[in-house]
Amino acid sequence: MCLRIRSFVPLGLCLPLLLAAAPAATAPAAAKPSAQAAAAKPGAKPVLTPADAAAVKQAITAPGAKAVLVNIWATWCGPCRDEFPDVLKVRKDLEAEGLRVILVSADFVEGKADAVEFLEAMGVDFPSFIKVGKDDEFVNGLAKEWSGLLPATLVYDGKGSLREVREGKQSYATFRGMVEKVLKDGSARSGP
Amino acid sequence: MRKSFALVSLLAVAALAFAAPVFVAAALSAPLHADDAPKALAIGTAIPMADQKMKNVDGKEVAVADVKGAKGTLVIFTCNACPYAKAWEDRIVALGNEYKGKGIGVIAVNSNDPGKVAEDGYDQMKTRAKEKSFGFPYVVDSTSNVARAYGATRTPEVFLFDAQGKLVYHGTIDDNSQDPEKVSSRYLSDALTAVSSGKEVPVKETKAMGCGIKFRA
Repeated sequence: MCLRIRSFVPLGLCLPLLLAAAPAATAPAAAKPSAQAAAAKPGAKPVLTPADAAAVKQAITAPGAKAVLVNIWATWCGPCRDEFPDVLKVRKDLEAEGLRVILVSADFVEGKADAVEFLEAMGVDFPSFIKVGKDDEFVNGLAKEWSGLLPATLVYDGKGSLREVREGKQSYATFRGMVEKVLKDGSARSGP
Repeated sequence: MRKSFALVSLLAVAALAFAAPVFVAAALSAPLHADDAPKALAIGTAIPMADQKMKNVDGKEVAVADVKGAKGTLVIFTCNACPYAKAWEDRIVALGNEYKGKGIGVIAVNSNDPGKVAEDGYDQMKTRAKEKSFGFPYVVDSTSNVARAYGATRTPEVFLFDAQGKLVYHGTIDDNSQDPEKVSSRYLSDALTAVSSGKEVPVKETKAMGCGIKFRA
């Protein structure tokens, strides 16, 4: 629980937690998670790799990013779908500054095709994950501060330390603000 | 600066001890969580809004106080629409029906705004309760204020109180929503067993992925 928060970010957004729904249920197959799935070619189906918390953490701490934003979503989750374009926009806008965005679908395993379809419709051309394994292990394994509510956005610094957790739908401004704070702190870092 | 660091460390340690990281965020005034995120009841807290009447699927008005059991009371925030609530539904009903006969009062509360999710309307609740043989009330939290008072945010999310009405368990049903066969930790079942025999609940707080409660404005 190493939370290094250095500055205050004003928060003005409510979290009206609206979720739509679609039925689903069965067992996740034990999957061999891979942090580096093959890069998707333009026009190819989005790559969705099964991952547990450890695999997602591996992708978070992989070198090369100054800030990492993890967004956990599901196709049946209305607010997840609503905020999704803003997640992609902040990625597009801040990738050059060192932002890595990691998308994790929390769809049940038989919902994978729906998730791929959604990612395709959203124009996601980079690899992402679909959660496998036990829910509480996944939630606690990623962030103890996360209640498990969807959507969830976890922001980490370049060293893989968790900096912020947001539950429920967020705006572009919030996503951008969280990332910029981490980027700014990272570049201004001069002491312990 | 040094002083504030010391304070921060102290608070962090305290919060760790209470396993309530939300407090860390609040104390730092740089919330890790959004500042309006509800805070769930702490273990040991008394039943909030116990006398609040809510409309049951049988048309009668029921309060949590009305169903209170001699050995404990289980309050389940759930709904019709959420895939997680559906995945756990049979297990929730089985546990509720079983422990109702063992001195535990049971009530399921739907706090979702049907204006946002039509599947959570009163008629649909009546149908679901009948289909799934709910042996306990399934009530409408018509303002969503009961969920707010509990700090409940998800469905399903359960709160178990002991004979004295103090919270002894809060969280999820078990550790595998999707496959009942693969469950290894039966958190709610274990808590119910403990409470109904007057013992201490082994695991008091758990988490799980879930749908957000669709609060009424």
